[in-house]
Amino acid sequence: MDSFVKMENFATVAKYSSLFAQGLLVTVLLSIFTVMIGFCIALVMALMRLSDIRPFRFLGIGPDGYQRESGALAVISRFNPVSFIATAYVEVLRSTPVIVQLFIIYYGVFGIFDLPNFTMFGFIKFPRFFPGVVALGMNSGAYLCEIIRSGIQSIDGGQTEAARSLGMSKVQNLRYIVLPQALKNILPAIANEFVVIIKESAITYTIGVQDIMSAVNAVRGAAFVITEPLLVATGIYFCLCFPTSKLIAYFERRMSHGDKR
Amino acid sequence: MATSGSLICVKDLKKHYKGGAIKALDGVTVDINKGDVMVVIGPSGSGKSTFLRSLNLLEEPTGGSILFDGEDITKKRYKNADGKTVKLDVDALRQKMGMVFQHFNLFPHMTILENMTLAPIKVKKMPKAEAEKKALALLDRVGLKDRADAYPIQLSGGQKQRVAIVRALAMEPEVMLFDEPTSALDPEMVGEVLDVMKELAKEGMTMVCVTHEMGFAREVGNRVLFMADGQLVEEGTPEQIFGNPQSPRLKDFLAKVL
Repeated sequence: MDSFVKMENFATVAKYSSLFAQGLLVTVLLSIFTVMIGFCIALVMALMRLSDIRPFRFLGIGPDGYQRESGALAVISRFNPVSFIATAYVEVLRSTPVIVQLFIIYYGVFGIFDLPNFTMFGFIKFPRFFPGVVALGMNSGAYLCEIIRSGIQSIDGGQTEAARSLGMSKVQNLRYIVLPQALKNILPAIANEFVVIIKESAITYTIGVQDIMSAVNAVRGAAFVITEPLLVATGIYFCLCFPTSKLIAYFERRMSHGDKR
Repeated sequence: MATSGSLICVKDLKKHYKGGAIKALDGVTVDINKGDVMVVIGPSGSGKSTFLRSLNLLEEPTGGSILFDGEDITKKRYKNADGKTVKLDVDALRQKMGMVFQHFNLFPHMTILENMTLAPIKVKKMPKAEAEKKALALLDRVGLKDRADAYPIQLSGGQKQRVAIVRALAMEPEVMLFDEPTSALDPEMVGEVLDVMKELAKEGMTMVCVTHEMGFAREVGNRVLFMADGQLVEEGTPEQIFGNPQSPRLKDFLAKVL
């Protein structure tokens, strides 16, 4: 009877170990850049969503000098275009598949203008790697935005009142009071999102980024084995994701010195 | 009467919600002089806290004016001495008004010392060593010097509120606003906080204090305001307010709380 996994096939996979090593590096780089881009997008989007920019505010003042409570003018006066853009961005990116976004970015956006055609480390093709990072970064930016927004909103309003009453500006309040506390609250959710990014980066093999998944595919094409390279890939992904979540759990513990008696 | 000696002149201050259906403040006029210890009393929902929070613009009034050092702080833009229209610097204004909250609002992710030095360092650009020296001196005054490196959660309610008071003092404000500073405290801790406030009053600090502590109002306050339904119903010395109340609302209120 054929067994599910054959030991000799692992020997075959071992011949392609350099492909897996390259794939590992690509996946790590993809994830790091994705996290950086995603985090920047997320912070900006979260602040946009929480902004209070209402260009038509004056329309909300009724003839009696009071704020209108209902009617079309009241609705228009509450309209915040900045927040609207950020909300639309988040909702669109969360409600469409990553692979669709990836293909739109790769074939659509970067199909129009040429990216510099060079390779990094001798095997990472920039014209494929860059669109992958952009697409993943934009996608995770939408999710991280919601995480950061909820984190900021979880901080008691009294904290902001105390900071402002001491003369701190809005920016100082955000920088020294709100964000440090929010970051601590959202670390578990961020850990989750980082792990998702590492795993989701596998999808970029569909546009020819040579990550771990692409190494699996190469072995399958060359040596006609599939289960064993997949198991190797499983092991590598686990060894990336598990320590990542543990590392963030460590930071979480370190930041929690304000909660212990 | 608005006199030039007043630190804060509040005139016809209004805060209306829902198209005027809800009047949290409905035309409050009062002058606060330098060195006043003004105690604001009244039933809940009477607008005491809204009045206090309007003074440093944590609440935006919908009408009336507040002159602080002669400058109308309810106008977002005003003409300065050179006749130029400038924007009101709310942050600079708030540095001159310390505020103490019912729920302390210490920053939980910072030590007591960091809580006290953050604003002096970041806002007043004070050197760190100087800010810490000042903070420790202030903590010493309220008997908490040995807790400088503790986190807020490690302190009792009374200790937290004492820290909150000296945190506000570290900015060297001209006036201190207290928003029910003892209402969230266990009864046995009320005394230690009131003692700090008495001390402060003795030193001549201008104070506006919303409180339910009638004993404090009588003992420390030099002026007592009684508010009800967003209006200033009666004003006077503690002797007048507690010994010889005029309006039926005040008599009714005192009968319930004393």
